[in-house]
Amino acid sequence: MVAPPDNDVLWARSLTYSHNGSPALDGVSLGVREGEILAVCGPRGSGKTTLLRCLSGQLVPQEGEVWFNDSPVHTMSAVLRERLRRDRFSWIDPEPALVPELTAWENAALPLLLRGASHRVAKVTALEWLDRLDIGQCARKRPYALLQAQRQRIAVARALVTTPSVLFADEPTAPLHRTDRAQVIRTLTTAARSHSITVVLATLDEEVAALADRTVSLLDGRRISSLGPTEAEGQAACSLSV
Amino acid sequence: MLALRLGRGARPLVLVRRLLVVAASAGVGFLLLCTLGWAMGHPAGSAARLLWCLIPLAATVQFAVAVARTEPGTRPRTGLSAVGLGPARLTTLAATSTAVSCAFGSALALLLFLHLRSDPTGSPLGGQGAELLARGQSLPLAAMLTLLALVPTFATAATGMAMRHHTRRAARPAENVPPPVHTPSGLPWGVALTAAGLAVETYASRSGGGSAPPLPGQFDGSSAGVLAGWSLTAIGLALAGPGITHLCGRLVQILRPGAIRLLAGRTLMTEARNIGRPLGVLCAVISGVFAATSLSGPGAVRPFGPLTGLGAALVIGCTAATLLTATAESRQARAATTTTLHHLGAPATLLRTAAAVRATAILTIFAPLTWMVAALAAIPLTA
Repeated sequence: MVAPPDNDVLWARSLTYSHNGSPALDGVSLGVREGEILAVCGPRGSGKTTLLRCLSGQLVPQEGEVWFNDSPVHTMSAVLRERLRRDRFSWIDPEPALVPELTAWENAALPLLLRGASHRVAKVTALEWLDRLDIGQCARKRPYALLQAQRQRIAVARALVTTPSVLFADEPTAPLHRTDRAQVIRTLTTAARSHSITVVLATLDEEVAALADRTVSLLDGRRISSLGPTEAEGQAACSLSV
Repeated sequence: MLALRLGRGARPLVLVRRLLVVAASAGVGFLLLCTLGWAMGHPAGSAARLLWCLIPLAATVQFAVAVARTEPGTRPRTGLSAVGLGPARLTTLAATSTAVSCAFGSALALLLFLHLRSDPTGSPLGGQGAELLARGQSLPLAAMLTLLALVPTFATAATGMAMRHHTRRAARPAENVPPPVHTPSGLPWGVALTAAGLAVETYASRSGGGSAPPLPGQFDGSSAGVLAGWSLTAIGLALAGPGITHLCGRLVQILRPGAIRLLAGRTLMTEARNIGRPLGVLCAVISGVFAATSLSGPGAVRPFGPLTGLGAALVIGCTAATLLTATAESRQARAATTTTLHHLGAPATLLRTAAAVRATAILTIFAPLTWMVAALAAIPLTA
């Protein structure tokens, strides 16, 4: 095993993964630097979600290594990876995936409560974050009474409330219209920069990728060198996929 | 055919639940046939025996509906809805599979009955076997078929009605369905009915005895009044069950809860409607059993026969299995939430602890309640 470069908070080498035989990732390597916002671009089915799940320890790659701050994630036990996800990472799904029984602020405070924070601290912190994301007035409502954009912002607040080391966002703006999309992604990136949270952002959207510090492109489970927006859709991508 | 195919591909646990429905249906069918056999020899007073069969019948129908609701093959899925297997068709599918399993059970009951009739020596029914099986008499075919069709008909109709609402509700995305966190409204009605039932029972036990239908064991009061009181108490408990479960959940998550109490309490509040009713019914059945055992003594006039035992086993088994099935259903309904919690890094022990907290809360509220109702119901019977 080779130790990763020092300035990378998260580092992956030749990740290979297949879902029950269907290939998803094929030898992907990348490094994520401390405090940067890295966009993972690519069309549907290019392996973005699988890459993020491997990096966050939800999946163990069949080949390759994942390192987080000098500790090997790929060799950790399931319990350790669970603890890592709880204490150092957070995750935003394409769908808000809130707990329907809990109110908005309880949903946002859930990661803190899971870490064992006191009820009062969790509530104060969650309400602060909801206010910062402009949904403080919905704090006492349940998810079913909210709009999809509001739910997604609660999911963002839930991911930010613990100020994690790395935030994984898997197409966080997928179900939203353009205005809501811009607002969600801007609040996410602004919060990440002001709290120096490293963000790995999977997206299909070129505008979203433009807000990132660096872009990594995936196609058919392989990493390709960054392309211009016109080329990525066109023949250049096709020739590279061979 | 689709129902059979889906059943063939199902997991063993699902098949076990279906087999239990078959067994319960067979048990009720056998009880009904034995009642018919008895009525052939004793036309007077046999209607009361038939009425007693209604309790196991109701328990079996309740269980069949609960199993149909839990069946994974009939759960609404967006993909299936797109190919035309929407709520309406799924309702038909669930009703069909319920009808098939209940009819299979009835057929088994008929076979068992005919086998015991043709077997002249050993019969598990004891001394009354010949009378119950009506040996040596020809049984009316139409009556037999009508009685055997009772369970499939009622179970299919009840499944159809229950699934129509269930599939429509489940076809919507989980987040757009308002979780029923408001207090279920049945609690005051339930408490009032339970109290009224106990009062009727106490009043009836003092009035003159000897009336039909005869109760098993030793009892001198007016049995019709006592039975009416019991039924009122049972209905009251079934109505109050959701409200009490909701109250349990509210108490669990009161006063600055951490993650475990918060999740356990809110889940109980949401599930109150689903598991509260079977809980109330089970509570009523257990208290009924306690009261019934207080009737039977060593010197009872009418000792418990094998059919009373079969009926009691059916009622207890079906209500307990219904509760377990309802629990499984609510676990299926919570699957998305469980996945979300796993993504957040919630350890498996946290979810297990939350489940244990829920079970403990329910036990601490319902066990004393059952004991209290049983004690109150038994006082007028023994005094």
